[in-house]
Amino acid sequence: MIPLTVIGGFLGAGKTTLVNHLLSSAHKRWGVLVNDFGAINVDAALIAAQDGQTMALTNGCVCCSLGDDLGDALATIAMRQPEHVIVEASGVSDPWKIAQLALIEPGFLLEPLVVLVDTPALLAQLGDRWVGDTVARQLAFAEIIVLNKCDQASAATRAAVRARMQDLRPEAVLLEATGAVLAEATLSFTPASRPAVSRFYAEAVGHHFPTYALPAEIAFDRDRLRAVLGDLPRSVLRIKGVCQLGADAKPVLLQYAAERWAFTPAPAGLPSGLVVIGTPELPPQSELADQFAAAALD
Amino acid sequence: MSDKPQVTVFAARRIVTLDPSLPIATHVAVRDGRVLATGGAELVAQFGGRLDDRFAGKVLVPGFVEGHGHATDGLMWRAPYVGFFPRTAPNGQPAGGFKSIAEVVAHLRQVEISMTDPDQPLVAWGFDPIYFDGPRMTVADLDQISATRMVVVAHVSGHILNVNTKVLDKAGFSPDSNLDGLVRDGHGRLTGELQGPAVMGRANRATGDGGLLRALDVPGLRDYGRIAQRVGVTTSTDLANALTPDNVAALRAATNEADFPIRLVPAMRAREYSLDDGLARIAELKTMSTDKLRFGLVKLVVDGSIQGFTARLRWPGYHNGAPNGLWYVAPGELEGIVTAYHGAGHHLHIHTNGDEASELATEMVGRAIAAHPRRDHRHTLQHCQMADSGIFRRMQTFGMCVNLFANHIFYWGEQHAALTMGPSRVRHLDACATALACGVPLAIHSDTPVTPVDPRFTMWCAVNRLSSAGRVLGEHERITPLQALHAVTLGAAYTLKLDHLLGSIEVGKFADFAVLEDDPLTVDPVTIKDIPVVATVMGGQVFTAS
Ligand SMILES: [Zn+2]
Repeated sequence: MIPLTVIGGFLGAGKTTLVNHLLSSAHKRWGVLVNDFGAINVDAALIAAQDGQTMALTNGCVCCSLGDDLGDALATIAMRQPEHVIVEASGVSDPWKIAQLALIEPGFLLEPLVVLVDTPALLAQLGDRWVGDTVARQLAFAEIIVLNKCDQASAATRAAVRARMQDLRPEAVLLEATGAVLAEATLSFTPASRPAVSRFYAEAVGHHFPTYALPAEIAFDRDRLRAVLGDLPRSVLRIKGVCQLGADAKPVLLQYAAERWAFTPAPAGLPSGLVVIGTPELPPQSELADQFAAAALD
Repeated sequence: MSDKPQVTVFAARRIVTLDPSLPIATHVAVRDGRVLATGGAELVAQFGGRLDDRFAGKVLVPGFVEGHGHATDGLMWRAPYVGFFPRTAPNGQPAGGFKSIAEVVAHLRQVEISMTDPDQPLVAWGFDPIYFDGPRMTVADLDQISATRMVVVAHVSGHILNVNTKVLDKAGFSPDSNLDGLVRDGHGRLTGELQGPAVMGRANRATGDGGLLRALDVPGLRDYGRIAQRVGVTTSTDLANALTPDNVAALRAATNEADFPIRLVPAMRAREYSLDDGLARIAELKTMSTDKLRFGLVKLVVDGSIQGFTARLRWPGYHNGAPNGLWYVAPGELEGIVTAYHGAGHHLHIHTNGDEASELATEMVGRAIAAHPRRDHRHTLQHCQMADSGIFRRMQTFGMCVNLFANHIFYWGEQHAALTMGPSRVRHLDACATALACGVPLAIHSDTPVTPVDPRFTMWCAVNRLSSAGRVLGEHERITPLQALHAVTLGAAYTLKLDHLLGSIEVGKFADFAVLEDDPLTVDPVTIKDIPVVATVMGGQVFTAS
């Protein structure tokens, strides 16, 4: 399964800059879906091939235009076998709507929803008659909020922005950044699960999402599992893993994010069991395990 | 004498010219496809013309101009139409008019039986369940049509699809999934109703688009020409076309055919291009116009639709509390785009449905004019359905035009009253009278295939403002039959910068007429939509309506 990270944020928040960084200083083969192909600005020497809507780089990265249908674009980019896919949401879209759709894309695993903000401009944007609601809505389901351009914001502004974020989306991890420079590990929930590029990168990770595994050896009752999923607290950010639904013997992959979930046919080779990722307020493992156990098929 | 151009004098019971120097005539002389003279029987002698009296008992009005239609209407008919209201197919046959889910299902079962390739999806369009009582269509209904073939029923609103189990499976929508846009029943299972572009796009991909998103081809354009001609149209926009070289080749091939019955005015969809490429493309296109194919319009889209809850509304927002729509283009970007096209001398047609979108677009045109003062730009807001007098006054100040979606009053007026705009704002849904009172040049439209192209019906809506439930929505916004006729002829032509060539019956203009059985200015106004269209004349050439 290919990890997939959706990056949102209003125009000017630094999404394209971030994408340019990733592509030009890649430590792995990124596959990037962007809205505006023309805005991508990598060194010409790095471009191995370019045809219409796809650009392949000498470092193994590939960049495609997002187009009208996420699934189409993901199918195109999956053929290039990237190690991790980044989807840059348009500056006026709701990135959570895009992230949800990734829950049902076979072969992709949804990583944290990262939303960038233009820190010096944010308070004015939130108060703007035309764009205030758009900016707030983009943040509503963010899991990592990157306060970008912090070098251009006073300490007082940064504090005020942090306070607004606490109101708008207390569940999110806040990171400060300058020039949209982020540790690559920020784009994944589970940075430790694969070899760190360097010690510095690993140590630079400023966020921490409590994670634990739930056994799912048993088959779930469809209605009771739905009730459990529908009742989870907001501190549960993700549940992903293979389980069995109803009397149907075929294993399915469950991906849950923010009160939305999807079941897709389980890829071969994944052991059964669910991984839960949440905020520091995540309920204890035993409590969630009991809830899921109660949804087991009799 | 043999090479002297032929003059034909058409005689009619009455000719409504919209020419202020002779508003009503009985004869019109035509030469070289243009109006040579208007007047009475004396024209035959004065101009040495041949009298053509086949329309002697009929009424001629200027050929209708559909200021906001989509030629993709001509493609729709390759798929079955399952709408509540009957429509006329390109071949003149009636279609649709299904009054229950059971009737729709029964019809599609017949269609399914006639299909030979088992892998070909069955895609129907025009479904309109808002007029049905009782439960909504479900996956069980569509599974009755086929369990093995993909079945898709597209709603006429454009914002909802119903699909069968086969499509849910192919699209990867497990019946136990819970995502925005997937409607679930009381048991939490998917009903097969898909709402919004994200999940609809996925289903369309599963079916291979099912044909509803095909590229316009010459046969499709011919079919659109037939549909439009039959209701008296002699000029229609195709108000959003990528205008790729392939698109342009199809448009040229179709409109060059001697019997192609309408003039087409396509608008270039700006979002298909980067700003620089779009500016270059529209400049190039403008050099390629012919008498029957006119380039020059640039289409921008600012928000979505009111009934799809994707329009941008000002306070107090949607009447039912639904969240506001999202901008299709950021306000700051819109300013840049409007300023660039305006600055380069181009002509914008800007889709705005919600009042906030209309307000924003007006503001941005105002800023563009401040940066690049230019008269007679005729930038036009398309739909502009919720604008009030404040917005219209500013539009007038900036020299803008409007093309209001009058057909909405009938088709969705009750929905707007109940859900989207509420009982007060619905009074100025498509506020034709206010636009005119504020001095904003007015056109009215169908947005075909969203609602059927038929300027008689569009006039009827603007004159009577009757909803589908038969009540008047906003009596003070009703306009007179003459104002409505103007809005579907000269008024629409003005928004296209074609009013010097067509839209009225005046010397020098194209000989483009709609031939009607009766006079829309004198019949009982509630019967305007029922006046039979006998024929059209385009460039002096007669096309019968039957
Ligand atoms: Zn339209």
